[in-house]
Amino acid sequence: MSVRVSGLSVLPPVRRDRIIVQLPKYFRREAAVHTKDEFNNKVKTACQEQRTGTVGFKISKVIVVGDLAVGKTCLINRFCKDAFDKNYKATIGVDFEMERFEVLGVPFSLQLWDTAGQERFKCIASTYYRGAQVVIIAFDVNDVTSLGHVRQWLEDALRENDPTAVQLFLVGTKKDLSSPAQYSQIERDALELAQEISAEYWAVSSLTGENVNEFFFRVASIAFETNVLAELEKSGTRQIGEVVRISSTSNSLNATSKKKGPNCCQ
Amino acid sequence: MALQGPEELGEQVEEPEDQDASGISPAEEITLPPGPGGDEEPGQTLLLPWDRFSTWLHCICVVGFDLELGQAVEVIYPHHSKLSEKEKTSICYLSFPDSNSGCLGDTQFCFRFRQGSNRKSSLSCFLETTDRDAPPCLKREQGHYYGYVYFRQVRDKSLKRGYFQKSLVLISKLPYVTFFHSLLKIMAPEYFEKQEPCLEAACNDIDRWPTPHPGRILTLPIMGVVIKVRIPTCYDKPGASQLVQSSQSDSLVSIVLPTIHEVDLFRCFSPVFFHIQMLWELVLLGEALVVMAPSPAESSDTVLALVSCISPLRYCSDFRPYFTIHDSEFKEYTTRTQAPPSVILGVTNPFFAKTLQHWPHIIRNGDMKQAGEMAKQMKVKKLKNLKTLDSKPGVYTAYKPYLNKDEEIIKQLQKGVQQKRPSAAQNAILRRYFLELTQSFIIPLERYVASLMPLQKSISPWKSPPQLRPFIQQDFMKTLEKAGPQLTSRLKGDWIGLYRNFLKSPNFDGWFRNRRREMTQKLEALHLEALCEEDLQVRVQKHTEVETVDLVLKLKDKLDQAEREQLPVRPGTLNKLKAHIDAVILALPEDLQGILHKPATP
Repeated sequence: MSVRVSGLSVLPPVRRDRIIVQLPKYFRREAAVHTKDEFNNKVKTACQEQRTGTVGFKISKVIVVGDLAVGKTCLINRFCKDAFDKNYKATIGVDFEMERFEVLGVPFSLQLWDTAGQERFKCIASTYYRGAQVVIIAFDVNDVTSLGHVRQWLEDALRENDPTAVQLFLVGTKKDLSSPAQYSQIERDALELAQEISAEYWAVSSLTGENVNEFFFRVASIAFETNVLAELEKSGTRQIGEVVRISSTSNSLNATSKKKGPNCCQ
Repeated sequence: MALQGPEELGEQVEEPEDQDASGISPAEEITLPPGPGGDEEPGQTLLLPWDRFSTWLHCICVVGFDLELGQAVEVIYPHHSKLSEKEKTSICYLSFPDSNSGCLGDTQFCFRFRQGSNRKSSLSCFLETTDRDAPPCLKREQGHYYGYVYFRQVRDKSLKRGYFQKSLVLISKLPYVTFFHSLLKIMAPEYFEKQEPCLEAACNDIDRWPTPHPGRILTLPIMGVVIKVRIPTCYDKPGASQLVQSSQSDSLVSIVLPTIHEVDLFRCFSPVFFHIQMLWELVLLGEALVVMAPSPAESSDTVLALVSCISPLRYCSDFRPYFTIHDSEFKEYTTRTQAPPSVILGVTNPFFAKTLQHWPHIIRNGDMKQAGEMAKQMKVKKLKNLKTLDSKPGVYTAYKPYLNKDEEIIKQLQKGVQQKRPSAAQNAILRRYFLELTQSFIIPLERYVASLMPLQKSISPWKSPPQLRPFIQQDFMKTLEKAGPQLTSRLKGDWIGLYRNFLKSPNFDGWFRNRRREMTQKLEALHLEALCEEDLQVRVQKHTEVETVDLVLKLKDKLDQAEREQLPVRPGTLNKLKAHIDAVILALPEDLQGILHKPATP
C-alpha cells in the first residue's frame, strides 16, 4: 500500500538500526523456517530492479499469542521501545505496535498485535487473529504448562487464517530466569514441538534483551521474503517477466510452492 | 452513570484491569508511549488514560429495546462517561428508525443533537490547537454531538418481541461521517456477536490512537485491522483527494480511507437531480429545508450532502440528519406560530408530512437510485401537492432560483449515466461543480473583505492596533460590477439578489465572524512584530519608571495573548519579545526586577 499526499513527506526515514541488508540467521538449525544463508534470489533481484516500482510499500500482520503472563507485551516493548517494565500489567484486549523496517532497500512494516492472554478476551481474539501472516506463540521457558498450551494457541490462531500462508514462530521467554541445565531440558521439548508444528524456534530474554532484536529481524526478513514471493507469484509475468526468467534457474522455487517451510523436506 | 445489565455487573467484579485503570489518580500524569503514529509532538505524551479516546469519541452507547421501557441505553462505555438524562433520551429515540419501512438487517445512519449540559473538557485547550488547522466544516462541534448508528434488526423467535433490535452508537463531536461509519462497520458486527469484551477491547484500541490532528497520516488499529486516514487541513488544495490505496493485498489488514467525511453527492441527489443548483441556493441562503426519506440512512446522507454542497463554506445553522417527533426541539422547530427556522431536517416519520406541510421547501426522496438510474421528473412541484410521505419524489417549493439553470452539468452527468461512468467519478464531477460554484460566489466577498484590512503603514507599535473597516453592503455591491462572479462563472442570473439575500443569512454571519477574527488576529500579529522591531531600551530611557513598569506589564499581556490565541506571527517573534521584556526588566532597579520577573520564570 502506498500513501500519497500532496506536497508532504509522508513518513520520516526508517531508523538506521531497522535496515536489513542481509538475511539474519536462524536460532536453531533443527527448527527454522528455512536454513538458507541469503535472501531468495528472486526476492533480491526484484528488490534491486524495482526499488521504487511494483514492489512498493509492504505490510505484514503479526500476532503474538500465548498464556497469561508469559511476557508477550514485554517482548514487544523490549524491541519497539527498548524498555523493560518489571511490573505486570494485564493487556486489555489487544495492544498494537507498528514497526518500520527497510529490507533490501524496500520499506516494510510489521503490524504487531499483542493479544491478551486472559480467558475473558478469548472470545474476541479471533477478530484480532484474522489476516495474520506471522504467528508468534510465546511460552515461558520456566513454565512447562505454558509450553503445553502452545498447540491450543496455534489451533485458535490458525482457525482464522490460511494455515499454509502463515509463518510460525515458537518463542521461549524469560531465558534469564532459568539455569543452563533447566533451560536445555525444556529446549529439547520445545524443539521437538517446533518441528512438529513447523515453527521456527527462538529463546529470548526481554529483561536482558538477549536475542530480542535478532528474533524480530529474523521475523521481519522472513515475512518480507514471503510477502515479496507471494506478490511475484501473483503478478506473474505481467510485471516481472524479467525477474521470473532469471530466477527460474535458481533452486529456491520450493519456498513459494511450499509455504510450510522446509522442515518437511529435511 | 452507565446503565448496566445485571450480567455485566457480575462481570465487573472480576475485572482486575479495570481497577488498575481507576487506580491511577487523575492528578498524576503518566507518560504514555507514543502512539502508533510515532511522529507525535512531545506535548501529546502527557495525556492521561482515556484522553486519547476522548479526542475521538465522547462515548459509545448500546441502545436496545425493552418491552416495558421501549428504547433504553443498556450500556455506556467507557463507564465513567457522562450523559444527562435528556441526552440519553435523545440518543434512545434517535438510534432507532421510526419509519414505516422495516429496515430489516443492518442499517447505518447518523444523527445530531444538542448538547444538554455544558461540560467543559479538561482537554479543551489541547483540542482547540488540534482543531486550528482543520477546514471550517471539519472543526469539532461546539454545542452539538453527532451520533453514528449501526442498527441491527433480525428475526429472533426466542425473543418475546420476535425481533432482535439493537444499535451500537458512537457519540462524538467530530463530523467525520465516513470514517465513523467505516469504524462501525468493523466494530458493530463483532460486538453483536461477542458482546462486552469486544467493546472493552475496541475502546482500549481507540485509547491508543494518535489524536485527530489535521494533516497527518494517522494509523488507527482497531479489532485486528489498521485504518489509515488523513484529516484534511484548511491549507489543502480543495478537491484534492489525499490518500490512495494502491495495493489490494494489504486490504485484509490495512484499510485506507480516501475521505473521512464526504458522502456520495451523486447518489444522494439522484432522485432530485435536476434541481441540484436550486438546492445549492437554498442551502447557501440558510432556507428552512426538510428532507423526507423512507429511512434514516437516506435522510441522514441527504442532509449531510446538502450541508456539504456549499463547502468550503461552513453551513452555520442547525441541521439534523435524522429528526424524530420525540426530539426535544420538535416543538421549537415545527411551531406554526413563527416562520420556519433556518434549519435542515431529515425525517422519515409519515407524521411529518402533515406537521411540516407549511414548510417552504421540501425534498421528497424516494428510494435512492443505484448508479445508472436517474430521476426523469423535471418540474419543481407545487407544495399543495404534498399530502403524505407517499407523494412522488421531487422538490416541493415555490422558490424561484436567482441564477439561471446550468444545463451543462446536467448534460454532463446524464451522459455519464448513459456511458455507465462509475459512481465515484460522477460524484467527483458533481463535487467539483459545487466547489467551483461556491468559490465563484465567495471570491468577490473574500476580495472585498480583504480590502477592509488597514494599511500596513497605519500600524504603529506605540498605538493600539488599527481597527478593521466595517463591512458596508453598498460598497460591496459596487465591487460586483467589475469583480463579480462573472469573472469565474459562466452562469448568468440575478447574482446581486443572491448576494443580498446571502448577507442576511446565518451562513454569511458565521463566515464573516470567522474572517473578522482571523484578520483581527493578523493585525495583532503585525502589531506585535512591529513592536519587536523597536529599540525598547532607547524608549525606556526617555520615560519614567512608572511608565516602564506599565510597558513591561503591557508587553507581558501581549505575549500571553499571542500564546493563548496562537497568533500567526513570524517564527522567532515571541522569543524576541521575551528577550525585550527581560532586557527592559534588567534595566530597572533590583527590587522591581524581582517583582516583575516572578511570573515569567517557571
